[in-house]
Amino acid sequence: MSGLLQAFAEGFLNPLLTPAHVLTLLALALCVGQQKRRGGALLIFALALAVGFLAIVLAIETTPARMVLLADAAALGVMVAVVWAPKPLVWLLAATAGVALALDSPPQAVMIAAAYTTIAGTAVGACAMLVGAALIASHANADWQRLGMRIVGSWIAASAILVLAVQLR
Amino acid sequence: MREPEHSKIAHLIGGLLVAMAVLAGRPALAHIVDGSAAGGFLGGFAHPLFGLDHVVAMIAVGLWGAFLGQPAIWVLPIAFPLVMAFGGAMAILGIAVRGVEIGIAISAIVLGGMIALAVRARLVPAAMIVAAFAIFHGHAHGAELPPGTDAVAFSVGFVMATGMLHLTGIAFGLLTRWPIGRIGVRVAGIAIVLVGAVFLIRAV
Repeated sequence: MSGLLQAFAEGFLNPLLTPAHVLTLLALALCVGQQKRRGGALLIFALALAVGFLAIVLAIETTPARMVLLADAAALGVMVAVVWAPKPLVWLLAATAGVALALDSPPQAVMIAAAYTTIAGTAVGACAMLVGAALIASHANADWQRLGMRIVGSWIAASAILVLAVQLR
Repeated sequence: MREPEHSKIAHLIGGLLVAMAVLAGRPALAHIVDGSAAGGFLGGFAHPLFGLDHVVAMIAVGLWGAFLGQPAIWVLPIAFPLVMAFGGAMAILGIAVRGVEIGIAISAIVLGGMIALAVRARLVPAAMIVAAFAIFHGHAHGAELPPGTDAVAFSVGFVMATGMLHLTGIAFGLLTRWPIGRIGVRVAGIAIVLVGAVFLIRAV
């Protein structure tokens, strides 16, 4: 039982401790937080996450998921910085972020039960971080808070662009 | 009752510093699972702080933004990291830019001169000047990105340190609300020009 609990905790912490995941989730949360209607993007992300994990269960081989995550973070960061977020584009980026985050989080556990538990932990951790950060962002209504979100968006985009360049080198 | 402008800016700077502290903590925690992340973040964070020419130019961006007032005070620090990242990407991908060190020194001279002379440029030309110089700064940093470190953590640290220097300039620039403060800020502009001139002489 404690082994499964540890597997869940490892999965839960994975999106919170992997810098590329944090960047993407934070950028998506800020972008969603700037919108008036937020449910759609969050739901699409959760569904896409499930699709990504299904692909892992079906033993999909190595993918360029990290690159996709960073490209997502760069695009979302720019959109947060310039406060321009067409809904279809946000949904598309939420979907690709969900699938890519799942594909970039393959469980390390050997036991099947532990692997599934780790996947469940990652799904819960990613959704919890996204929803929590989006809720905080949506309540940031003061002028200085909105400006702060735009600045953080530009920092996220800049970081992601640099790392993408390193990966493409 | 509306909040005074300087109070909003103080709130924003405080909020961003808290955000930086939170984000900075992540790679440190990630050290548990990824040995290079903490080192990567610290290396990236320290990188822009150890070049005086970079430091004064970054502070000058914030200072000039504060001098120009709304909306430049925020547009310049938002535009700079984005364009700087493209400069860094050019360096990483091996795209050469000639006279990078000279460009960085000139950026300090020009931006310091704008502050010293209290030039109130329009937003678009000001943003274009800052963006043009951001390419040089980004290229210099991108060319020096150490291999073998956690690239994401390094980049986050590097961008956050740059942003912190901008915020330092903005905070200092808020002194322009008082007559004595305006003099102090313009004197700082002169000092930035002098530092830039020294680096230009060394680079030529």
